[in-house]
Amino acid sequence: MKKIQPPHLAKRLLERVLREDLTEEVLGDLEEKYSSTLKNHSASKAKMNYWFEVINYLRPFAIRKINSYHYMNHGLFQNYFKVGIRNILKYKTFSFINIFGLAVAMSVGMLLILMLADQHRYDQFHEKKDRMYRILSSTEDGRQGYATSPFPLSHALKESYPIIEESTHLTPGVGGDATYQQKLAEMRGYFAEPSFFRVFGFRLEKGDEKTALMQPNSAVISSELAYELFNDENPVGKIIEFSDRQLSFPLEFDGISSPAVSWGSFTITGVIDHSKYKSHLAFDALVSAATLPALYSDKKIEDRSSNWENYYRTYTYVVLRSDAKEDQLSNALDDFVKRTYADLTAEHLKGFHLTPQPLSQVQLGLMGNDTNNRLFLLGYYFLAALTIVILISAALNYTSLSIARSVVRAKEIGIRKVNGAQKKSVVMQFLSESILISLFAMVLAVGLLFLLKPAFKNLWVNQYLGFELPQTWGVYFLFIGFAMFIGILAGLFPAFQLSAYEPVKVLKKLQVVNRGGMGMRKALNVSQLVISLFFIATSVLVFRQFNHFMKFDYGFDSTNIINVELQGAAYEKVVQQFSTVPGVVSVSASDIIPATGTNNGIQLKKTDSENEFTNASILVTDQHFIENLNIKLVAGSALSESSTTESILINETAVEKLGYPNPASIIGESLETKWGGETLTVVGVVKNFHYLILVNNNGTAPLVLRRNPDQFKFLNVRLAGDQPMTTISKLEAKWKEIDPLHPIQYKFFKDELASTHQAIFDIVTIIGFVAFLAIVIACLGLLGMATYTIERKTKEVGIRKTLGATEFNIAFLLSREFIAVVLMAVAIGAPLSFFVNNLWLQRLVNRVDFGWSAVGIGTLCILLLGFITIVTQTLKASRTNPVDSLKVE
Amino acid sequence: MIETKLGEFEEVILLLTGILGENAYAFKIAEEFKNQTGRSISIGATHSTLDRLEGKGFLKSEMGSATSERGGRRKRIFTITALGKRVLKESRDFKMALWQQYPALSGKLNIA
Repeated sequence: MKKIQPPHLAKRLLERVLREDLTEEVLGDLEEKYSSTLKNHSASKAKMNYWFEVINYLRPFAIRKINSYHYMNHGLFQNYFKVGIRNILKYKTFSFINIFGLAVAMSVGMLLILMLADQHRYDQFHEKKDRMYRILSSTEDGRQGYATSPFPLSHALKESYPIIEESTHLTPGVGGDATYQQKLAEMRGYFAEPSFFRVFGFRLEKGDEKTALMQPNSAVISSELAYELFNDENPVGKIIEFSDRQLSFPLEFDGISSPAVSWGSFTITGVIDHSKYKSHLAFDALVSAATLPALYSDKKIEDRSSNWENYYRTYTYVVLRSDAKEDQLSNALDDFVKRTYADLTAEHLKGFHLTPQPLSQVQLGLMGNDTNNRLFLLGYYFLAALTIVILISAALNYTSLSIARSVVRAKEIGIRKVNGAQKKSVVMQFLSESILISLFAMVLAVGLLFLLKPAFKNLWVNQYLGFELPQTWGVYFLFIGFAMFIGILAGLFPAFQLSAYEPVKVLKKLQVVNRGGMGMRKALNVSQLVISLFFIATSVLVFRQFNHFMKFDYGFDSTNIINVELQGAAYEKVVQQFSTVPGVVSVSASDIIPATGTNNGIQLKKTDSENEFTNASILVTDQHFIENLNIKLVAGSALSESSTTESILINETAVEKLGYPNPASIIGESLETKWGGETLTVVGVVKNFHYLILVNNNGTAPLVLRRNPDQFKFLNVRLAGDQPMTTISKLEAKWKEIDPLHPIQYKFFKDELASTHQAIFDIVTIIGFVAFLAIVIACLGLLGMATYTIERKTKEVGIRKTLGATEFNIAFLLSREFIAVVLMAVAIGAPLSFFVNNLWLQRLVNRVDFGWSAVGIGTLCILLLGFITIVTQTLKASRTNPVDSLKVE
Repeated sequence: MIETKLGEFEEVILLLTGILGENAYAFKIAEEFKNQTGRSISIGATHSTLDRLEGKGFLKSEMGSATSERGGRRKRIFTITALGKRVLKESRDFKMALWQQYPALSGKLNIA
């Protein structure tokens, strides 16, 4: 058996403070004592004793004499601080360049910190949060896992594995209208079990957590819903009527609703106040899972209570026993899948497995079918990468300027060293100076953040991501830590470089301090400019791509069309009512809105042929649809009021894919479908139009249109060009007659098409902003170097002017090397941004021509800004009166 | 100038060093001190005194052998110098002289 070692820390302490010549004997004595104590006493007693002995050795005779220099001395720090402040004030230009550059970059970093801090506030209120896991499903083919798992999983796990202390499931499926005494409100939520309150930390404002979800037909509602239905009355014990419309939940999509089906009455047993909890879960209501069996038997909801193949609906959460580890849970899940799924061979279950996701990772680990919209992890990486590029760029400015100006500090370092300063203390001095600078920058950055934050929150995507970005005290601590880190990062290299000077040499000027790394500094400038050029070109390009999508000719006319959700209302009735409204040109109906991201599929082949099935998309429309959207009929006839689901229109691509020579040849042909075994007859062919989302499609895939009033979800109402809003208000009035309960839901088709590409515009904004920052920082770097060089050459300029050089000569002389830097940046950056951007652009099916213009704009920006920066400095220098410049020193 | 005064504690330690002979190193001396007096004392305190005695020239020391219990580290063995012996003797003689002047006890005192 291995001997129990004496306490490590105590030993280390002794080794640190003890005179070197005593170490061996003392450690020997103590260890001997320790092992003799161990024989008769417990280990802890022996350890205690060891500590006692160690402390008793802290006597004057035994302690190492301190002959080393106090580089952590308080007085010296004061001096560093004083010299630091003086340096900042003395060289205002350089201080400004450093502080401003760092501040700009830090404000972006801070924004990212705020975002992460914001996400970290989620789900902190659960008592058992460290032991809570969500169970994810994934299969062989699915790259992204699903947040959902099979319905029976929760119960089965709890029964079979003792390491699971508690488990619960949340199953969406509640989405409809709750009514109470003529008041109606939309209610969306989950079916939940009583164990919900044992797993999660949600508590009821009113009602009892233990019994709230026990009985069938009981529901816990949010305080918002409670207010809508009951105002200030106590909701507990009240009975509401609920009718389900299959509204989408937890993610809301337009147009997904069906006619109301009554589920009967529900007793309110509790109220949850969501404003008290920040969670990835949000709901209007939790309906007791005990209600489900009755709904199953009435066929109002599909019974999945023993369905292991469907893993797309239910969310399963477990709490582990406090002594169990995550990998035990992983093993349990693997074991469970092996046993349960051995006999299930469905195609979509290939390679099925379940994995635990710790609750702390849920907020940043967005999965398929997740409970809300959040920024996915890749998004953070993207933002972090941009931030790091900017930060490094700014930190390098500091580094390169400090090294360039080391000549100025060389004497100071020499004197300090002669007076006994060690290398360490000089390093400390320069590090404290750079930290000081970065703390100043932090203050400025917090100011910039007040401009940056609203801009970020107003990004289009944020209405889905819901970043609030509060600046709590804790965040400021992070900021300070962050600023110090940046300070150290920026100051480390110069600190070591400067502290290495040998005092004799710098004081005697035997060694002119290496003008050092001029090549390196130029390389830095070049790379900063290259990065700027790249970002400018990229943002220009993304913007043009965005514009391309916005102005895209879809092949149908969406001007002045509004899409009105039917919300389960009878289609004929609404059409008839709407058609009578003045200002309505025409009305048609469809099941989805084409080219906005939703798409349904069908497989077809010529009846009784040996051909492979052709994949096509299907759009369910009424007979007016193609006319209403100005889609041209190429052959045959349009659908009619009497068309059944067997008559179809197809597009030109479908004709080609099904193997017919021309549109006319397919009219009247019969086609069979793969799954339903239906037989369809082609009655007409329409010209191709874009019905798929543009980002990853070119819209020329096969398409089938057919008429089926049962599936209509939207009306496409074409309004007359003038005063559409008046017409809409009339439509609203009509809608109130048809459906007094639900307010009209409509959107302009144009806006819907545009909004599918809004996210791209956000990317333009972000990259454009980063480009702006990058070029600001690069120009600051250039400015710093130019100013410095000119300052160094004041005398040279004076002498040259006295000897007859013209202003132009001087300006050229001074600018030459910087202009070379800018040109080199363009020479590298332009082709680089061309090729890198081509990499992603080529992957878009539907793209703008690259051309050189995006790169051209970038190049122009760099050249212009670079030259302005340099030339203003050099001109100023060349205009100085030689008498003044020669008097310097 | 060498300090020749010997404190009471110093005297005991010096004596113990003599008693232990070849085993006279800080840990053993501290242990022996406890055995003889019943009072425990830290090794550090013992070592400090030994160091002082060595400085006064009453003790000399050299590194001895190592054992596995000590993690292979050697021990410092202290031995009394001639000066040390003399000081001990003087100290004893001085006290004896004092005792003999103490009438109430002088009769009972039996010096071998």
